[in-house]
Amino acid sequence: MLIKLNTAWALFQGLLIEALPFLLIGVLISALARWLAPGGRWLRRLPAHPLLGPLSGAALGFALPACECGNVPVARRMLVGGAPLGSALGFLFAAPVLNPIVIASTWAAFPDQPWLLLARPIGAVLVSLALCLLLRLIPEQQLLQADVLAERRLNQPLAAVTLLQRRSGLVGVSTATSTAQEPSPQPTPRPPLQEVLSHGGREFVQLALLLVAGCVLAALVQTLLPRQWLLNLGGSPTGSILALMALSLVISVCSSVDAFLALSFAAQVTPGALLAFLLLGPVIDLKLAGLLGLLLRPRGLLLASAGAGLSVLLISQWINLWLL
Amino acid sequence: MDQPVVAVKTRHLQAAGLALWGLVLLRSSADGRLDLLLRGVFHPLVSIAGLLLLVWAVVLVLPLRGRWSQGAAAAVAETVTPRHWRTLAATALIALLLIALPPNPSFADLAQRRPGDDSGDAELAFVLPPAQRSLTDWVRLLRSQSDPRLYVGDPVRISGFVLPRSDGPPLLARLLVRCCLADATPIGLPVRWPGDQPLPKADQWLQINGEMAEQQGPQGEELVVIPQRIRPIPRPPRPLEP
Repeated sequence: MLIKLNTAWALFQGLLIEALPFLLIGVLISALARWLAPGGRWLRRLPAHPLLGPLSGAALGFALPACECGNVPVARRMLVGGAPLGSALGFLFAAPVLNPIVIASTWAAFPDQPWLLLARPIGAVLVSLALCLLLRLIPEQQLLQADVLAERRLNQPLAAVTLLQRRSGLVGVSTATSTAQEPSPQPTPRPPLQEVLSHGGREFVQLALLLVAGCVLAALVQTLLPRQWLLNLGGSPTGSILALMALSLVISVCSSVDAFLALSFAAQVTPGALLAFLLLGPVIDLKLAGLLGLLLRPRGLLLASAGAGLSVLLISQWINLWLL
Repeated sequence: MDQPVVAVKTRHLQAAGLALWGLVLLRSSADGRLDLLLRGVFHPLVSIAGLLLLVWAVVLVLPLRGRWSQGAAAAVAETVTPRHWRTLAATALIALLLIALPPNPSFADLAQRRPGDDSGDAELAFVLPPAQRSLTDWVRLLRSQSDPRLYVGDPVRISGFVLPRSDGPPLLARLLVRCCLADATPIGLPVRWPGDQPLPKADQWLQINGEMAEQQGPQGEELVVIPQRIRPIPRPPRPLEP
């Protein structure tokens, strides 16, 4: 038992120490965006269309070469800055795959499988679209965590939220009146550096603790569950997809290197299962659970997890039908 | 009536939290544990992140003036609540544990729960003379050229840990890592252990000098290391292979 604890402790440290720099990159980008574009007016100009919103958010991934841990603080910044829900969630779910480093590492790991180089980003966009459409079914106030929602309300125009929802503003002025008479918004002054740093510091410390919880969970499951069991389950096309989906949840490795890990068992699994591993891990895994819980309420998190699992399964089944 | 003096401000607590994480990363970089946890390309990233966190913490507690601190009163004046203290206490506890308890994994335990690496010969860059090949070089070479007869009689000087198998004698093995210990996968070579000695213990690190021979394995002819000298060695400072 002591041997297993030692191994779990080492796995925990490996996961955490590898993820912390990426988390820092995400928080720094988020803080920089807050300082350079105070008020986040550009965020509110992102399209709110059910399809264009997630696509625009996904496209922003090309500008952030970080794995999923680094994306969470940036997605949080988008949400509290008043970005359309679809754009922010599209970024959250697709950007961990749609960035130059991940695409390059996928190509480096599988240079002889060009279909994978296309299928991974396209699949990530499809999963992201499916999740955004699914999460639209839940009202914002039941989807987002209370503190995210409160900050978001302050940055949304009065046309979009009522004073009661915003919890500030002029009492006694109707939304319609205030919207009609609202002068053109003044540019928000740039916040002082110390305030931005203080805000970012608080965010990093909070996220780091959630990351710790996710890494503990991932390390324990990895230590107690023999990985070969999962791969042995993968004899049939569907079984191999489900096994690799479960493996991606457990391993919790960052999206910038998961293609190299997939290389080690690519010959043992079906093409669809390989794609499933590369699509699901960047969206949801044990390590990410705590971080995503900072943005989404449990109901939203459960729906996102189930939706991600189902859409990845369908895409991977189609790939198996096509290639096998 | 005198106002209570608030000695500790929220940004001081945030700075303490950042500094603790910075210390964890810098300490990990300095004490060599990264060699046991992460692939080498990530090491500079960890050190830089640790340094940045420390600088960030210092800047937060510095009494900045002028436009850098205008309006920061809101952040500074935020009331320190028990939640702030709890966050800092949790961070401090984790940081203390991480610094005080370095990792000491069992490679054999880890490897037994992982499928073997099957990534083919993609990473075989060139072929070294036999006596200079590491265990990893041998495994990759045998994957690229699977006819074992080509290597019979070649001298072998390899090191690795003992990895027990359920279907045969232990292998001499190494762990390949793409990112961190969480994705490590084992590779190994069969060894014909001396019959007059007990089998080595799991996880023990050995240096073996000998030569290659051919034997009938479960999947046909395979190469096996015939040891001429087996020497226990401590775990190398960089035990993970890229």
